[in-house]
Amino acid sequence: MKRLEPLKKIYNPAKWSFFKFDDRLLLILIGAIVGISSGLAAIALNRSLIAILDMLHHYRHLWWAFILPGIGALLSSVFLDKILKEGAGHGVPEVIYSVSRRGGLIRFRSSFSRLISSCLTIGSGGSAGPEAPVVMSGAAIGSNIASFFSLNDRQRITLVGCGAAGAISSIFNAPIAGMVFTMEVILGEWSTVNIIPIAIASVAGTEISRILNGNQIAFEHASFNIGLHDTLICIELALITAIVSIILTRLLRQMHSISNKIKAPLWVRAGIGGCVVGIMGFFMPVVLGEGYHFIQDMINGTFSTGILIAFIAVFAKIIATSFTLGWGGSGGIFAPGLVIGSLTGISFCRIIHMLWPDVSWMNEGCFGLLGMAGVISGMLQAPLTGIFLIVEITGGYEVILPLIIVSSISSTLCCFFEPASFYLKDLIKNGQLLRPGTDARVLADLSIVEVIETDCLRVKNNMILRDFITIIQKSKRNHFPVEDHKTGFFLGMINLDNVKPYIFNDMVYDAILLEQIMNTETDIDTISLEDDLSTVLKLMDSQELFSLPVISNKKFVGMISKATILNKYRTELMIQSTK
Amino acid sequence: MAVKLLHIFRNTPLGRETLLQSSYFCQKIDALPVIYLPVSTKFLMYFENSIAQVDLDDSYLLFPETAQKHATEIVESFGLTPGFIEPKDFTASTLPDIPINFNFMCCPRSISDLSSKIGLGYIGPRVRKIVNSAHFPVLITSPVYKPWKKIAVFFGGSKNAVNALKLGFYFARKTKMPIEIFTKIEKISKHDMENIIEKENLKKEFDSLEIKWNIFDKGSFEENLYSIPHDALVILGAYGHGLIKEIMFGSKMEIIQTVIPNNLLIAGPEYVSHNY
Repeated sequence: MKRLEPLKKIYNPAKWSFFKFDDRLLLILIGAIVGISSGLAAIALNRSLIAILDMLHHYRHLWWAFILPGIGALLSSVFLDKILKEGAGHGVPEVIYSVSRRGGLIRFRSSFSRLISSCLTIGSGGSAGPEAPVVMSGAAIGSNIASFFSLNDRQRITLVGCGAAGAISSIFNAPIAGMVFTMEVILGEWSTVNIIPIAIASVAGTEISRILNGNQIAFEHASFNIGLHDTLICIELALITAIVSIILTRLLRQMHSISNKIKAPLWVRAGIGGCVVGIMGFFMPVVLGEGYHFIQDMINGTFSTGILIAFIAVFAKIIATSFTLGWGGSGGIFAPGLVIGSLTGISFCRIIHMLWPDVSWMNEGCFGLLGMAGVISGMLQAPLTGIFLIVEITGGYEVILPLIIVSSISSTLCCFFEPASFYLKDLIKNGQLLRPGTDARVLADLSIVEVIETDCLRVKNNMILRDFITIIQKSKRNHFPVEDHKTGFFLGMINLDNVKPYIFNDMVYDAILLEQIMNTETDIDTISLEDDLSTVLKLMDSQELFSLPVISNKKFVGMISKATILNKYRTELMIQSTK
Repeated sequence: MAVKLLHIFRNTPLGRETLLQSSYFCQKIDALPVIYLPVSTKFLMYFENSIAQVDLDDSYLLFPETAQKHATEIVESFGLTPGFIEPKDFTASTLPDIPINFNFMCCPRSISDLSSKIGLGYIGPRVRKIVNSAHFPVLITSPVYKPWKKIAVFFGGSKNAVNALKLGFYFARKTKMPIEIFTKIEKISKHDMENIIEKENLKKEFDSLEIKWNIFDKGSFEENLYSIPHDALVILGAYGHGLIKEIMFGSKMEIIQTVIPNNLLIAGPEYVSHNY
């Protein structure tokens, strides 16, 4: 991209003096472009999915149709792993990782890889959703546009958010959900600098969707009559959806680790997983694909299966999703989450109708809708996303009160049993989720090189005590690194405590060499330039140390002290807090 | 602070030659060789404004049980102690991120294609991407280990060429080897180049080193390249011009890498000149 520099000088808005006054204007302009681009990506995936589903529709009733999801998942895996060499998972955790640790840098290939692979998986019948792939794609578009214009990390992260927001807004025709999802899940912070460009990107993405697909509400419904007793029963629904969310999250992981234990190439495993889903789909078609038309049936109250089948369908969909995504297929958990949630909702509704037949409950569709909110909020541990998404995709503002109850309780309960959401679990486990302004993030953004003190006076191992005392008089420090007089290698440290026993006896000044009284390398803790500061601080705390020597290539480089770390920490924290 | 060179080790005879080159390089400038023993065929390098995904040739994963031993033996034979890095961060479970806080990196001409492709005139796409993105110069080694005894710098007056010249001075200082500068007179005269050197505050150092400045004002550039000593480390800048200019008029770096088999130290457009 550097090679396009002459063109960029003319066409790069980041260089225009108009935007130098306040970069928010620049971010709004580029955010709109990113929103439009990611919106188009979302529409492209949506239309491709419809085309593939139409194309394969005629074969679904044939006995061998069970291999279709297998072939789709296999091709998807080959495409991602062998052709594009992505080597990555479902997308959203990668976006969060890039925001958290890499200044929003995402590979260019990610802007289209997941669109194609998820199209193959979902279009052939795999149980997955297109939302995570479009988030990945939108975020990658934002990141690469930011890199093209040579924007800084903060600006790039905002544009990654714009891409994610534009994509979600476009695919659901839901601008607020896109915005809230980005702030709550992707960025993990609500700063005014980010909100405005992301809001504009959401609007741009939604407008693109409305221009190309029409202003459709995904799951329209008749009006609901909700009473106080309905609102109260929602507490129990929240409990059920929380349990379902936990089962889904855990089974997805379990399947992933089971699949990893099988000694077969990823594409074979993906094919096997897809075939299992195909077989399940033969008996229970609700498990196939994204399953949006089943949701519409459930919200309309026309999903005609009995309680038992609906109940089994919940678990069948969970298992199918786990086989699809855990075994190597490509896609997201949003759409399966919505299907599972609505199935949970109507199962719950039918049970309470059976238990209390005389009570006039709100209709089944409303429970389906609340179930969706509960499962999405629980799984993502993002209650606001659940609330706004359901309100927008159903156009049902009248359910807002029970929605808030279900979403809040479900996400709280899930958080209790699964402290990290589906997207964040691996990142937290590997110490890679570093939200701005947190202790871990501040420490991660500081390196040893930034806090190292190099003004220590070094002494040689064959130095006599008399010479050393002269050095002590000149130095402001109490610690002195001892180096080998021939090789310059670090041998140990000497401090004033080591000298005290001899200092008042000048008879021994010429008889004692420093190597005789120093603390050797084996006695003391040292750190290397590659260590991170959190490890260093843990070591200091556990050993009750205030400073440590830094060694590189067997040589002393400098000292690192708690006081300097604290100074730098405060500076960095102030920078992050005022962004 | 120790100067560090990153080396991706391939546990094969070809990889041994490359590590011998790296070790010699480190020995000459008192640098620390930091070795990555790949555990998967892919890894990422996050630079300031771009990402380089390196898809290694499968031969990088051969014989992992002896890789560390072999690498250590080679480096220690030069009186150096190798450092080994293990990735701490992963973009995905099979996609480690390799740190980039190095001063140099060593690559053969290609790291993602079959080694049979390695030859004059070919630099693999991943190596190009690294040269284009890295803040450090990349040492592109010749296929067989050959110690270099001189420093040869290509200087044409551009910003990248100035960086290459600074690197050349650094190497001349550190290695005490003779340094030669090669310039093809095209648009700017020798006098202009002297002005550039003065403007960049390099005059004093230029005069203090015993530099032989070879000016080519006749013959084609390829023809003049015969004058480059066979035993020189060739230092040059790359990708300093715009894409359009490169398409129209070609690239000097491409000509050089096609014609001469020496070890090349290439400073890309993102290279940040340091006082090591």
